[in-house]
Order: sequence, then C-alpha cells, then structure tokens
Amino acid sequence: MGRSKHNKREATADTAGDKKNKRQKREDYRTALRENGSTELPRKKHYRQRAHANPFSDHKLIYPPHPELMNWSSMYPHYVAEEGPADQAQTDAEVLPDRDSEVLKPKKLTQDVEVADIGCGFGGLLVALAPALPDKLILGLEIRVSVTQFVEDRIKALRAQNEEQKLYRNIAVLRANTMKFMPNFFTKGQLSKIFICFPDPHFKARKHKQRIVSTTLNSEYAYVLQPSGIVYTITDVPDLHEWMVGHFEAHPSFERVSEEEQEADPCVTIMRTETEEGKKVERNQGKKYVALYRRLEDPPHE
Amino acid sequence: MSLPYHILKVCGGVVFAARAGSIYSFNSDLEYISAWEYPVKQQQQTKGQEASATEQQKESSAADGPPTKRRKVESSQEAAPSNGSGDAEGAGAPETKPKKKGKSYTTPTDRAFVQGLYSTTDGRHLVAITGSDKTIRVFEHDGAGNLRLLSERQMPKRPCDIAITPDNRTILSADKFGDVYGLPLIESEDGQWSKETSAAQQKSRSATPAASQAYKPQANEFTVHTVRNRKALENQKLVLEQRAKEEKAEGPQFEHILLLGHVSMLTAIAVGTSPKNNKPYIITADRDEHIRITRSIPQTHVIEGFCLGHDEFISTICIPPLRPDLLISGGGDDELYVWNWVSNQRLSKTDLLKEAQKLAPEMAKLAVTRIFATRPKQINKKGDENNKSDDHTLVFVICERIPAIFCFQLKDSETTLQHAQTIPLPNGNNPLDVEYLHSSPSPRLLVAVDPNSITTSSTENTTEPAATTTTPSLRVFSLEQGQWHPTEQVIKGPEPSTGSSPEESNPITVQELQKILYTTESLRKTATDFE
Ligand SMILES: C[S@@+](CC[C@H](N)C(=O)[O-])C[C@H]1O[C@@H](n2cnc3c(N)ncnc32)[C@H](O)[C@@H]1O
Repeated sequence: MGRSKHNKREATADTAGDKKNKRQKREDYRTALRENGSTELPRKKHYRQRAHANPFSDHKLIYPPHPELMNWSSMYPHYVAEEGPADQAQTDAEVLPDRDSEVLKPKKLTQDVEVADIGCGFGGLLVALAPALPDKLILGLEIRVSVTQFVEDRIKALRAQNEEQKLYRNIAVLRANTMKFMPNFFTKGQLSKIFICFPDPHFKARKHKQRIVSTTLNSEYAYVLQPSGIVYTITDVPDLHEWMVGHFEAHPSFERVSEEEQEADPCVTIMRTETEEGKKVERNQGKKYVALYRRLEDPPHE
Repeated sequence: MSLPYHILKVCGGVVFAARAGSIYSFNSDLEYISAWEYPVKQQQQTKGQEASATEQQKESSAADGPPTKRRKVESSQEAAPSNGSGDAEGAGAPETKPKKKGKSYTTPTDRAFVQGLYSTTDGRHLVAITGSDKTIRVFEHDGAGNLRLLSERQMPKRPCDIAITPDNRTILSADKFGDVYGLPLIESEDGQWSKETSAAQQKSRSATPAASQAYKPQANEFTVHTVRNRKALENQKLVLEQRAKEEKAEGPQFEHILLLGHVSMLTAIAVGTSPKNNKPYIITADRDEHIRITRSIPQTHVIEGFCLGHDEFISTICIPPLRPDLLISGGGDDELYVWNWVSNQRLSKTDLLKEAQKLAPEMAKLAVTRIFATRPKQINKKGDENNKSDDHTLVFVICERIPAIFCFQLKDSETTLQHAQTIPLPNGNNPLDVEYLHSSPSPRLLVAVDPNSITTSSTENTTEPAATTTTPSLRVFSLEQGQWHPTEQVIKGPEPSTGSSPEESNPITVQELQKILYTTESLRKTATDFE
C-alpha cells in the first residue's frame, strides 16, 4: 500500500548499474543463506519487491495442468507416502488415461493440503498457524516472487531450528496467482479453511475487477471449499470490508458466521495478531474488521 | 473488390455466410437469396472523412481524455485480461461508445467483421457478434433466408463467443475479460426475462449480486425474519447499490445478468445437457488452459468441475451431436482432446500436428481455430432421407494458416477420433470456416477460404489491397467413394451495390485483413515477467 510510492522513488534514484548491483547482492545473500542450510532467519530487506503485481498478466508462473499432477512432496517432505504401486495405477486410469502422464506422476502425500492462505505476504499467519493446526497441511499462496522466496527461506530456517520438536513441517509456500489458478492446485472440496488477510484494497472503481473477492471469484472459493468450510477475511479498510461482506453474503454458496462463533475460533485471534499487515495496523492503532463465511451445501440441482 | 466470406452457418436449408460485417444467405443449391448489410453510416463515410475524424477526436477528448489516451484504452481492451501489462487498466476503463458520425479506420479492428454466427435450435433466429463494436445482433429468420434485425446490443466488453440456452430464451455471452453475461434472446418490454431469470438465480437462497440492471432483492423487510437474514438483505442491497452506481457510469442499458466469470480471457462457450440428469450446464474455455463446467441458469454460482490437462491455450470446444456427454477441445496444443465433460475425465488425445506435418514437415506448432462436428444422414437409394443415422460422427478441424481441412470420424461406441482424410485446399488457400450440407444424393462440404493466402510469406508486408481476382472464397467439396473432392461449383454472391460498399471507399490491405482473420496463434503465451 503506502510502500509502492517509496519503491518508485528508490527505483528512479538508482542508476541502472546500482540496481544491478543491488540485485546481485540480494541474489548472493539468498544463495548463501540457502546453501549454508542455515538456521538463520532471512531478512526482509533482501527480498524487496514492488508492492503490487498485476493479477491479469502472464507471469512466468509454474503451475500443474491438473491437481493430480501437482508435486507436493518437496514442499512437505515429511508427509510423503510410501507408495503402493497398486493405487498409483488406479489414479492414472481414473484421471489421466494417457501413457505420457504416468511419467510425470508425482509422489503422493499421506494427507492433502487443507488450509490455504491467499496472498500470504511474508508468512506471519502461516508460521503462527503451524503449531495451532498441527495435524493439518497449510499452504501459503503468494504472487510476488521474492516475497515467496522469503517465506520459503523462512520456513526452511524454522524447520531447521526446530528439528527436534518437528515443528513447521506442515506449512509451505507456493508462488501462484490465485485469481487464475486455484483449480490447478486444489480439487473440488479439498480445503476446509481459506484465509484472505489484508488483501490489496484497489480503491479505484475501475480496479475493482482486481479485487481478490468478487461475485465470480467467490464461486471458485466455493468450489475448492468443502461444505461447512470457512473463509476468513480481515482488513483495515472499511470500504473493502463492506465490499467483501456484501459479496460473500450475497453469494448463494456462503453465509456469514455469527459473531459468537467467530470470536470463539482460535484462528481469528491468530489472524488478528500474527500477519505482518495486522501488526502494522496494530502499531498505527488502526481498526481491524473481521468476517467469516461458511460454505453452504449446494442446492439440489433443479 | 472482394473480401472473403469468413464465417458460415447452416440453418435449416439455408446457408448464411458473413463477409466483413454483412451477412448473406444462399439456398441449398448455393444460389444467392438475400443480404443484411452492415449499416454504412456507422461504418464509414466516404466524403469529408478527415473532417469528421477530427471532429470526433475533439468529441472524445472532451469525453474520455486525449485521443492518444483513448486509443491506448482501446488497444488494451483488445489485449484483454491476460495479455500484457496495460490490461488491468483496460478492465475497468471507460467504454468507447459506437460512433454515430463518420469514422476513420485507424486500426484494423475498427472494421466491422462478424466474429460468429449462431442460430436457435428452431432456426427462427440468427445471432451475430461483431468484435469491433462489441455488439450482439439478433435477427428474425423467416426460414427462407431473409433476415430482419430485431436488436443490437453493445456489450460492456468484447464478446469472444456466445451460446444460446436450449430453451432458446437466453444468449450467453463470453467476453475477453472472462465474464459470461446472460441476456434475453428477445428483449421483453416489461423486463420479464430479468425478473424471471434473476428470481430463479437467487431462489436457492436470498440473492446473488450477479444480477444487474433490473434486478431487485427478492426478499424484502417484511419477509425477512432472522437477524442474519436481515443483515444479508442489507448487504445484498449494498452490493446492488454499488453495482448500480458502476452500471450507471458505464453499463449497458438493456437487460443483462452477470452469470459467471474467469479471471482469464474466455475463448469459447457451449451449453451441454448431461445425459445423467438431463440438466443443462455452461461450459467455458479460457486462454489459461481451463475448461470449466458450471450449472446453467438458475444456479450459475455452482461450479461442478473442470476439465484440465491442456498445456496451451484453448481456442475452441465442440459437443458432437448425439454424443452429448463428449466434448472435443483444441487450441495451441499439438493434440485434440476428447473429454467426458460430465465426469471431467479426459478420454483421448489425437495428434493433429502429426497430420499437419504430412503437409508441411517443418511445422512445429499449430493453432486450432474450428472444430465442427456433424452427424451424416443416411440417404437410401431413392434419395429420401432415411431417419436412421449413420453410426458415426464426422469431425472437421481447421488450423490457422494451414491450407487443409482435417477430417476425423468418431464411432458411436468409441471415444477416440480416427483420422479419415486431410483435404488440401486448392491454390494453397487457407480455410476460414467449414459447414456441412446434408444434401442429396450426397452431402457436400462448404469451405470459406481466404483467396489472399496463395503465397506463403510475401503477403505479410504488402500494402496492396486485398485480392481483387475472381478467386472464389466459397469452395464446395463433394463426397465420392468416401473421399472429399473439390468441385468447380462457383458461388455467385451479390455484387456490392456501388457507393455503399465500405471496401470500395476504403480498401482493406492484405496485411490488415490478415490481422483480422488470423488471431488465434496470438493467444499463445509469451513469457513476460516483471522481474
Ligand atoms: C497487503 S498484502 C497482505 C499479506 C498478508 N496476508 C498479511 O496480512 O500480512 C496482500 C498480498 O496478496 C498478494 N496477492 C495479490 N494478488 C494475488 C494473487 N492474485 N495471487 C496471490 N497473491 C496475491 C500480494 O502480492 C500481497 O503480498
């Protein structure tokens, strides 16, 4: 938000050479960090990037053509299933009967990702949810490359630091444009919780189509959520709060969760205090607006 | 001066063929019947063109900023959501209204070209979409080839493809920005369509904000009982107010409802009826390799599934007649895919590139532009139509800039396309569209070709006016011993009436024409990153 202006200034002040230099330095730092297998936590300043990425553009995105072809094993290495060749063959026949897909068939996990943090930013929520939902696999999705890289390195360091307690093995991050590619990663009804924390507000009316909550996108959230699954939203922008409430309330697949139930949910407390944006708002003594929505059963097809 | 016919639609015994923005009809012997001509006043003005263009620029600078700015908006709209960096701006940018005054052709896309022709199942209506003016036109068809324009509706964004619901009541328009709008085939005076459709859309619960314009919240303060419901109603109103505000600013003034949307550019839409429950579904395909299955009106908020597996953009989809659970899709991949769209399973892939390479071995990629499936009728000896259909479906495929028609067979018991024949086109002309005539004693194939595509490479930078030769742009093929052969049949179209023809006053160059006719390969993604 306020950051973009700052970035611009920085960019124009830099000569091309400086820029390259800086980029090189960051690159070196990150490589060193990774190669050392270090337990040192990454520092944000080495992962700076412009504040907004255009969700409509062709990024060099990597995504599987089909959720069955998503390779989760390197992201959650402690959850890789011992594979029985029998069930391997079965899924192939069901979903992708072609020979060529067998070659690409990724290793399976013992359980599916069930919780998604959309636009996870620097990963504060993921890190806090990991011990709170220890038996769930949690995934952060983020469109900005270096921010994703930061979270990846952060998780790696945390896993290393907490090797003995086996912590942070259930969280991972993925670079993705969720507005376009959710169905490539998740099957119908796979998720039980979706977090949308402090999404970019896109104040101008002509930018509303870029908002991560909309009538048509809500149908996609409904698709990946199982019935009675929950969408969690939080923002410090009253207009955006109203927008999100309006669009979820009015969507036939969702109902708003009552305030009592909302306040009793431990994830709500974590969402209020643990995301980077949430902390920033706290420091500025801003107000935070929370709303939860329950995925309803689909109506009978009449 | 002749522009080629580039879109074909057979409707009953009548052949409709679009040339530029106009639609011509022919009987089953391919004799010319009549024409609906794109209004000249909208399209061009022969004299004083300079003056009116300047005047118009003045107008528009007052309305939407300096002309340069406006041109940028237009071009970014062309580019649509998933193409380059300026698009997001275009997504909500003010629309350029159709110009009433004279118009100068500054960009090729200013030319009116019919982008698609569709007919209702009863053949009583023909629907045409035109890209340059983003307009959907509905015609009444008297069954004998004569069209009467019933309505012209300019959509908020450029439609890419439309489908008509099986009840022939609703047009589903899929646009470049990923949205699907429903609008009544026949506009009702009292907004009956909106009332019924939006009421039905929200029956499952209180409401959907998807409805626009004529939409009113179903429940009112008196019917709401619980606190939650009341809150829901308030929010529903809030969304409607917001929406109304936006609509007022830039939305069209006719009945229409937003039904569903992708964030990716839509390229194709179809309506399928599931043999399982006999319910209609909306099938949408996008540039980002997705095929989405959604319940039809009134439950378009329910996504039933996706048919995923394409590696490149999808440009066209087709449900073969009498195989209602199958879907054939094609685009930038080397193969055609056959799906069971009801169960979201891919059933087979057919290597199309391999067939194309038999014509041009150096070919490395292709872009499918048409997949057309039909059921041949069995004709008995007397030449009467026998009701018993053949045991297979014929599938004809066109790829961009490949001068051939690829023919496949789909046997009733099978789910794999069998290559039957590759029909090379005379003079190396590129096909633009294909239709099938169930004529007796034997069927014929009608192909719209681009007569300017004779030479392979030299055409790119020529500014010559498009071919003025007599090279026919409609070709007829007949079936002899199971193989299609070209005939010498010449189709005599109407002579363009002098003075009224847009081509005459402002000749189109080959280059310009190519830009209009060959747009599919440009859907392929180029990796552009911000890093
Ligand atoms: C304001 S930040 C909030 C980050 C984090 N949730 C928090 O509360 O600290 C919004 C984030 O969403 C990401 N984002 C925006 N659009 C996205 C998209 N289409 N897919 C994935 N991430 C997206 C942005 O890059 C940004 O990091």
